[in-house]
Amino acid sequence: MTCLPRSSPAYRRYTKRFIPLTVFYIAAIMLASLFIPDDAAASPATIALALLPGLAVVGWIWAMGSLLVDLDDEYLRMLEVRKFLVATGFALAIASVWGLLELYTDVPKLPVFMIFPIWCLGLAVGQIWNRISGA
Amino acid sequence: MKNRLRVLRAEKSWSQQALAERIGVSRQSVNAIETGKYDPSLPLAFRIADIFELPIEAIFLRD
Repeated sequence: MTCLPRSSPAYRRYTKRFIPLTVFYIAAIMLASLFIPDDAAASPATIALALLPGLAVVGWIWAMGSLLVDLDDEYLRMLEVRKFLVATGFALAIASVWGLLELYTDVPKLPVFMIFPIWCLGLAVGQIWNRISGA
Repeated sequence: MKNRLRVLRAEKSWSQQALAERIGVSRQSVNAIETGKYDPSLPLAFRIADIFELPIEAIFLRD
């Protein structure tokens, strides 16, 4: 993404949604880490605390979906959709390949919550793909 | 799909930014269309045609 698209209203709205969600995520992670011991049993209280950061992740996903809806420039929307598709392929590939490695070898287990950060890493790959493909 | 957008824009002495503002898209979009990296949707092609007061087929050409 370049400076101009980022200054468009859709990107500004996206940033306005993303920043508070990120603050909430960090606060929720700190709260859960502070109050839930490592080997805590599942109880209504621990489940509720553990779900809080998940709400922020759902919010991020909603913000990204809303960006696609808000973008009225069809070319920029196409670039974003392409990034999302590359990211989805990237995350699916890593999860599938690592899952098979876990199945047949003793590599460390990949926590399921890492799928979303891996997908976000895939967005960067999608951005690079957009650049090198000349889009 | 080939197009005559760059030539038509030059005839009007418009920058890519000026044309982008007239049709309501980003400068990147105009550049991508001009260089053939992106084929616009039919509604956007009609908007471009309206700006130049030309039929679509006078701007966008079959390969």
